[in-house]
Amino acid sequence: MALTVLICDDSLLARNQLKKALPADFDASIVTATNGLEALAVLQSQEIGLVFLDLTMPELDGVGVLEAIKAQQLDCLVIVVSADIQPEMQKRVMELGALAFIQKPANADKLAAVLHKYGLI
Amino acid sequence: MTTLHFTEEQRDCLQELVNVAMGQASDKLARYLETMVHLQVPAIKLVDTQQLPEHFAKRYQQQSVSLISLGFFGDQGLRGETIMLYQLANVGVLAKLLGYSDDDSSEDEMLTDISSVLTTTFLNGLAEQLDNSFSYAAPRILSSRDEHFADKLAATAQQWQLALQVDIRYQLTDYSFHCDMILLIPGEAVLRLRQMLDQILADF
Repeated sequence: MALTVLICDDSLLARNQLKKALPADFDASIVTATNGLEALAVLQSQEIGLVFLDLTMPELDGVGVLEAIKAQQLDCLVIVVSADIQPEMQKRVMELGALAFIQKPANADKLAAVLHKYGLI
Repeated sequence: MTTLHFTEEQRDCLQELVNVAMGQASDKLARYLETMVHLQVPAIKLVDTQQLPEHFAKRYQQQSVSLISLGFFGDQGLRGETIMLYQLANVGVLAKLLGYSDDDSSEDEMLTDISSVLTTTFLNGLAEQLDNSFSYAAPRILSSRDEHFADKLAATAQQWQLALQVDIRYQLTDYSFHCDMILLIPGEAVLRLRQMLDQILADF
């Protein structure tokens, strides 16, 4: 059964870049959200196996989403894909439960390596 | 009135390129200041250069503002000028943090240094995503602690047709530091930039 994946980013370009960078053999059904509040609504209404999460977004940012996922004990894996590459920020999102941090724009090889590392492909 | 404009797709594309470039610039600034920088969504807007002085005069009413300019020249006709506007309320804290002495000439030197870090890192990040490369002129101080800075901004802005206004708000961990960045680009560079954005969009 295909994994349901949520791509959360306020930019259409970034969402499309990420979709294109996913490995061809990655069997997934993709849903999208354009900010943190939309992402939480999706997570609360359907089963999502994996979230690709941007950090710098309007309404609710990625850190807020990670905090909500933790507080509400939502069952999903999160890979942060962000331009905010400060080491402190990378440390913070990992402490909040993110599986990995990928620098924008998402690189196909890096993405495949992370998905492979966690047994997602 | 200019007829140059971006479609919503082009604007989204440019916003994302700016977001990635700003992330790189913020990381550089954070390392330079040895602190964490809270990054917000950089709001971008294309405006007629004639509107700029009034816009910023309203934003910084009766405040001293310093302006630092940096010219850039890229391949395929992409060129322009960045202007950093610094609100000076917290500049003393920054100076202390960076070890600059407490006088006006040191303040200018510090703002020039920060401008170089921010604008060259930002523009390098933007150029890389556009498959381009930029070279830079030396930074220039257009205005130093000046309440009438809008006149200086007008004098520089009128040489260009269009401005890409990028609102940046840097919130540092322990104190607030705010600056604005404006990209001034000539009309033909806007046309070239639109073509480059369309090429990127065509790939996705």
